[in-house]
Amino acid sequence: MMGKPEKLIVDGKRLDGRGPDELRPLKIEAGVLKRADGSAYVEMGKNKVLAAVYGPRELHPRHLQQPDTAILRCRYNMAPFSVDDRKRPGPDRRSVEISKVIREAFEPVVFTKLYPRSGIDVFIEILQADAGTRTAGINAAAVALADAGVPMRDLVSSVAVGKVDDTIVLDLTKDEDNYGTTDMPIAMLPRKKVITLLQMDGHLTPEEFERAIEMAMKGCEQIYEAQKQALKTKYETKPEEG
Amino acid sequence: MLYAQNREIVIPGQLIAEGSHSIYGGAFKEGNRVYSSVIGLMNVRGQDISVIPLGGRYMPRRGDTVIGIAMDSHRSGWILDLNSPYVGNLFVSDLEGRKIDLDKEDISQYLRIGDVVVAEIRDVDERMRVLLDASGPGMGKVRGGKMVEISSAKVPRVIGKKGSMATVLQSTSGCKIKVGQNGRIMVWGDDQRMVNAVVEALLMIEREAHTSGLTDRVKQFLEKMKSEGK
Amino acid sequence: MYELVSTVKRDYIVDLARQDKRADARALDQYREVSVETGLIENAQGSALVKMGNTQVLAGVKIQRGEPFPDTPSSGVLMVNAELRPIASPTFELGPPDENSIELARVVDRGIRESETIDLDKLGITPGEEVWMVYIDLHALDYDGNLIDAASLAAVAALWNVKKPQVEGWTLEEFPVVKKPVAVTVAKIDGKLMVDPSLDEQNVMDARLTITTIEDDSICAMQKGGIGYLTVEEIKAAYELARIKAAELRKHLG
Repeated sequence: MMGKPEKLIVDGKRLDGRGPDELRPLKIEAGVLKRADGSAYVEMGKNKVLAAVYGPRELHPRHLQQPDTAILRCRYNMAPFSVDDRKRPGPDRRSVEISKVIREAFEPVVFTKLYPRSGIDVFIEILQADAGTRTAGINAAAVALADAGVPMRDLVSSVAVGKVDDTIVLDLTKDEDNYGTTDMPIAMLPRKKVITLLQMDGHLTPEEFERAIEMAMKGCEQIYEAQKQALKTKYETKPEEG
Repeated sequence: MLYAQNREIVIPGQLIAEGSHSIYGGAFKEGNRVYSSVIGLMNVRGQDISVIPLGGRYMPRRGDTVIGIAMDSHRSGWILDLNSPYVGNLFVSDLEGRKIDLDKEDISQYLRIGDVVVAEIRDVDERMRVLLDASGPGMGKVRGGKMVEISSAKVPRVIGKKGSMATVLQSTSGCKIKVGQNGRIMVWGDDQRMVNAVVEALLMIEREAHTSGLTDRVKQFLEKMKSEGK
Repeated sequence: MYELVSTVKRDYIVDLARQDKRADARALDQYREVSVETGLIENAQGSALVKMGNTQVLAGVKIQRGEPFPDTPSSGVLMVNAELRPIASPTFELGPPDENSIELARVVDRGIRESETIDLDKLGITPGEEVWMVYIDLHALDYDGNLIDAASLAAVAALWNVKKPQVEGWTLEEFPVVKKPVAVTVAKIDGKLMVDPSLDEQNVMDARLTITTIEDDSICAMQKGGIGYLTVEEIKAAYELARIKAAELRKHLG
């Protein structure tokens, strides 16, 4: 395992050759599973993430049902082989927290009042992890919800920003997350440009924070374009002949 | 002012119009602006705007014909699975079309768990409790046939304008079909090959519902299958 | 969660079976379309994604240091785990592994362990203290019937995908995988035997028999499942089917 490199940014280029405000290579595909009502597969750099949506559907146990609204539920999970040191299967405290903040990132957009007494379930499986899994998970879940036909006010787009070598950078890799000082994932509603997920650990001056948020929102706009394209591509394939 | 064309594919949150439009289905207004809430086809008719969803679960509506599966029973009736977030309630008197003396009769003789029923939705209340009626003509317990499940959003395409697609499916294949608004379709036929062909045609319609020229393609496909079988 | 099957569907499938036919027009001895893709998870030492019809299973192999079992102090340790998470089916629930995921893991494990597919004796590091642990994790992504065959194929493909593990302290030339066991599941519907049951067939079948064979046609694992029964003749017939289909599936392992 590589020890900490002396510099994480050399001549304005990061370890993987990117500039400070460049996203990792992004791939999004909608409708990849058969059983789920909606699904999406996302690659952000080396992250490989699958999201599936079931619902609206009958909510069990019945005592969880709300008379005038659907309940949105989210489960984020990492496959044991997704990380360097094998992760024991089952929910851990980190996954529980991430599941909650992801659910809350979607609560403002889903039209839950249209489906009384029902449940809408979002499942995010991390198949390969390289920092920013929750952001990749949100990007996949948004496409999966749209693919499932769940009515929403907007999509949700997400990316993380951080600070390495005193420079604000977009879309951290695992090394940058480990060796840098700050990690700040955000999720944004692209239309209104409002924030529905914000977490931060590290150190930022108020000026650095402003720059970071600005960079993150620009990053989210690029991701939104890719999400839009993935959804439209699914329906724009030519019908087969004969 | 329209920001999307008729029959254009739009996504949730996309701005589709501005101004005094009436909106119905698949769209919502914020102030003066209209946005799509689902992935669907933009549908403009004069001042009326809607988005026709390309997916989504079935929501029971009064008057719809649905195909349900009995999943539970109680003393006076059954609960039917409707492939929807909401189940249907069918009382035995609404299946047999007459009052049944529950003290004298065991209702399981009329319907068992797992049986399939064609019914009409008589009522849906604000808590989405669904009341079914299966006593009318062409309704009731289903015998034989093959059941296909497609996305309920694509059912209008299976029926077609003035029933045109349904007619093509039946007359070209020689099979009989019964279409439930909840995405379930029954297919009956003496020729197994043609039953399978109709099933394939239905799956084709589900895949290509948003394209044009579909009725002709379906007709061609079924005619080809029919001639190959001879 | 229990899957409701309509009488119409059940009757349709049973009726077809009587005529030696299946709902998706397959022959009784025909598998759905199978594809195997390896090496997609870089963080794993080996990985494989198997698609069998619409069923999809992802297997990852992780090799790490660990403690040996007391009675085999110089042998590596194999552990197989299966996750049937709700992403793959509305019938899978959150929570600790249920009987289906445990059975799946143990059947896949049996096929690999009993055939001695991995030469575990080569995986010792310091006798009695440290050995190489081989974890195979099976992750169901989409469930449309016959997880056992798809998961077994994925597990073995993932093992053969491991070349020289990039883990600290690895001294062997190559990862010691030497056999290719293949599981074939045969379902019985109304007295007829058919391979690779689809989801609908699985929900309607009387019983199933999974037989895992290796290259010389010998049997290394078997598992009967389902609430019905099998006659001895049916079991022998199932073996014949398994022997032939295993050879076909084995070609996907390269």
